[in-house]
Amino acid sequence: MHELVEFAVEKALELGASYAEARFEEKNGTSLAMKNGNPEGLEILADRGMGIRVLADGGMGFASTNVLTKESVAEAVKKAVKLAKAASRVRNEPIVFSDEDFHEVYYEVKMRKDFRDVSPEEKMELLRKVEEEVKATGVNVPMRYLGYSDQVWHKIIANSDGAFIESIIPRVSVTYNLVVFENGQMEQAPFVQRAFSGGLELIEKDEPWSWAVKDVQALKKLIYEGKKPPEGKVDLVISPEVAGIAVHESVGHPYEADRIFGREAAQAGESFVKPDMLGERIGSEAVTVIEDPTIPNSWGFYLYDDEGVKARPRYLIRNGIITEFLMNREYAAKLGQRSNAAARAINYNREPIVRMANTYLAPGDYSFEELIEDIKLGVYMVSFNEWNIDDRRYQQRYIGREAYLIENGEIKHPVRRPILEITTKALWSSVDAVGKEIEMFPGTCGKGEPGQGVPVWMGGAHARLRDIPLRRP
Amino acid sequence: MFDVNEFILKKAKELGFGDVVVLGYETNRRQVRFANNEITVAKNWHERKVELFVELEKRVAGTTITELSEENIERTLKTLLSNMKGMAPKEDYYGIAEGPFEYRDIPETFDKAIVELDEPNEYVERAINAALEEGAKRVAGVLYTDHNRLYLTTSNGVEAFDEGTGIEISVRAFIGDLESGHGTNSVRVLKKFDPESAGRKAGEIAKLAQNPEQGPEGKFDVIFDPLAFANLLSYMSFMTSAYAAEAGFSFLVNKLGQKVASEIVTIKDVGNMPNGYGTRKFDDEGVPTRETTIIEGGTFKTFLLNTSMARKYRAETTGNAGLIMPHAWNILLEPGDYTKEELFSEVKKGIYITNVWYTRFQNYVAGDFSTIPRDGIFLVENGELKPIRNIRVSDNFQRILEGIKALGKESYHIHWWEVRTPVSTPYVLVKDVGITRATK
Repeated sequence: MHELVEFAVEKALELGASYAEARFEEKNGTSLAMKNGNPEGLEILADRGMGIRVLADGGMGFASTNVLTKESVAEAVKKAVKLAKAASRVRNEPIVFSDEDFHEVYYEVKMRKDFRDVSPEEKMELLRKVEEEVKATGVNVPMRYLGYSDQVWHKIIANSDGAFIESIIPRVSVTYNLVVFENGQMEQAPFVQRAFSGGLELIEKDEPWSWAVKDVQALKKLIYEGKKPPEGKVDLVISPEVAGIAVHESVGHPYEADRIFGREAAQAGESFVKPDMLGERIGSEAVTVIEDPTIPNSWGFYLYDDEGVKARPRYLIRNGIITEFLMNREYAAKLGQRSNAAARAINYNREPIVRMANTYLAPGDYSFEELIEDIKLGVYMVSFNEWNIDDRRYQQRYIGREAYLIENGEIKHPVRRPILEITTKALWSSVDAVGKEIEMFPGTCGKGEPGQGVPVWMGGAHARLRDIPLRRP
Repeated sequence: MFDVNEFILKKAKELGFGDVVVLGYETNRRQVRFANNEITVAKNWHERKVELFVELEKRVAGTTITELSEENIERTLKTLLSNMKGMAPKEDYYGIAEGPFEYRDIPETFDKAIVELDEPNEYVERAINAALEEGAKRVAGVLYTDHNRLYLTTSNGVEAFDEGTGIEISVRAFIGDLESGHGTNSVRVLKKFDPESAGRKAGEIAKLAQNPEQGPEGKFDVIFDPLAFANLLSYMSFMTSAYAAEAGFSFLVNKLGQKVASEIVTIKDVGNMPNGYGTRKFDDEGVPTRETTIIEGGTFKTFLLNTSMARKYRAETTGNAGLIMPHAWNILLEPGDYTKEELFSEVKKGIYITNVWYTRFQNYVAGDFSTIPRDGIFLVENGELKPIRNIRVSDNFQRILEGIKALGKESYHIHWWEVRTPVSTPYVLVKDVGITRATK
């Protein structure tokens, strides 16, 4: 396959491309689902192909093929170059890529328990274990949708600037939707996922059934003991899970350079952040947000991005100040900077675009007890369901699923659906203290057209927000 | 490609599989993405693949085969077989449809002119220019052309072929940071393609939306533009699948035969809609697609079903397979009898929402959700439009359907990034819609 990847790059240059990149990707895996105790069937994934992206005459073209012969690849290269040239005629200025240092590298994430050696029925047992443990709680959960998925991603990326990167990354996950019906009332924990880069041992150690049990017990307690949350200005402590969605939506996304420059305007939207906002204050001193693809076994793990640039941790906010955007080579060049390796594509048939990997609120120095001890009246939001944010990433809302009243420094009864609806600047300016421990939660980040759902982790530490106008449904 | 299908079917039967469905695709898709009035990237996808579904004593499995050599096909089937042998059966599996069936050609689903179209960039330029002429400063969007061939072979006597084309554009126009509009156009035959209309609409709304003020909160009568209401109906389309109901992702759970919407609401899935972007001759098990009334006069009539789920619920298939998950083809909200002007004059004080995105649910079974108006939002007061910004629709799905007060007489077919299942809908007036905004 290495020869075919090199052939594609050479062929594109021959046809007049000023830059060419070829990416072979192969994904193999299995997925299983169980609905209300019934195995829903087995899905076997075996997908491979090559995507070719070129610059020619200052335009960008992309073509892919899943027929991996020289003829078919040559045909795709021809199309990509032709499309780039035609596109260049509807451009105001040529596309230029930043200069980078490139390497020839092979890396692999090892599995201690290789899921390729495990039979589907044994994997199904993981879901059955979730079923059994949930049932054993005695909570009435009439709708249970469980999913298991594993995939090995094999990639070979080469470009005409000298990158040659081969990687093998296994990914494994368990997902659930649980509907609790008790006392004539219903609560739901939808699309909860536990996910890692690595082998089956990571899922076994994580025990997704324990998360499911915790969820249904919390929902039952909410039904029987839940009261209205306080309204008006209170203090709010958000868990690592809620901090995670907040940093993902209101820090990660608006710092994507392609949004900042309007490339995503018709789809995933734009950004309130402008190029000249580097160095501006967006949050309190307590807030530092890091984006790091290199965290071992993380769901968003990679060491080189899909443009062949070496990954590193990126400090999006340092002590409340905007310090770095997420960039690929196109937008790094526009900003006169180096790429920080944020270019990702979900498959061979997609172009690499600016994406997050693992985004988290960096730890502070408060224990959880210290965070809540001086709160007179407040809410602790542990998990969330409904959330959304406007396309400039400024007006957002998160509704608590599991949440509790805090009164005089103590956690009391559950509260129903506390609503945090707030602007990005107000949110991060309200944080006065951050916890010591961090925790990460998986998600699928959607962006691009056609859509590219990429695996990411979101998380960080607990955070305390002062004087937050909390709403009720 | 039927030779490949037949080979797969023959080998699968030899290995002892029961029900077998082989769905072959040959697709050619082109995309031109643009932003800031220029093309950002142009793409081409050529794909040949087979989606395979097999059943072995009530155990079901599926895979997609992209490398179609005989050797790989045999290897794939053997892998499926060995993986399925130890698995527990799906007790609620009841088989696939008995063929053969007769299929009718559906008008306006194939156009050679789209297949032969060499270069679609001129349509992009026309859409950009139409928006700029209306006063837009920056225009972004995407254009697609599609050419699909489908080859279906099943173990129950189905052999069916369908060929379709399409061309569509989605255009978003901006004047400043806060002033934008959006328009779309999706058709199956080239002569009906009108990229200018999408560009013009985007530009017109952006122009009207200038200098918006912070919007109010509370309960308001809301006029949803077809683009905005299509988003909600597209989410609803998933909830009409019997699969979604079983899995706990639908507000229609346990509501068959009940009133779930205003009496003026009739919602259908039309798989055989002429010029519909989701139209196909047959579903994934070969059943001819058809018109299915989901909600009639406000009453919920049926979930969308495949053969297995239909048998489980002692009903007839609605021609919506998805073998595991039935799904809608083209959702249609029957239009009413209001002109656009009449609809706006119904509203003494309300809000006109031209587009929404990021619809998310607090609770799928209850139907509680919120969604964010994007692009132009307007206060409607005695026939006048005043631009506003920063509001959120926070309500309940069924309550929105029950609150529908009036429907426009003209229907618009909407399909874009945020409306994945195509939707035909008129302008819709809903009373007392919950509107919230950030308070800090």
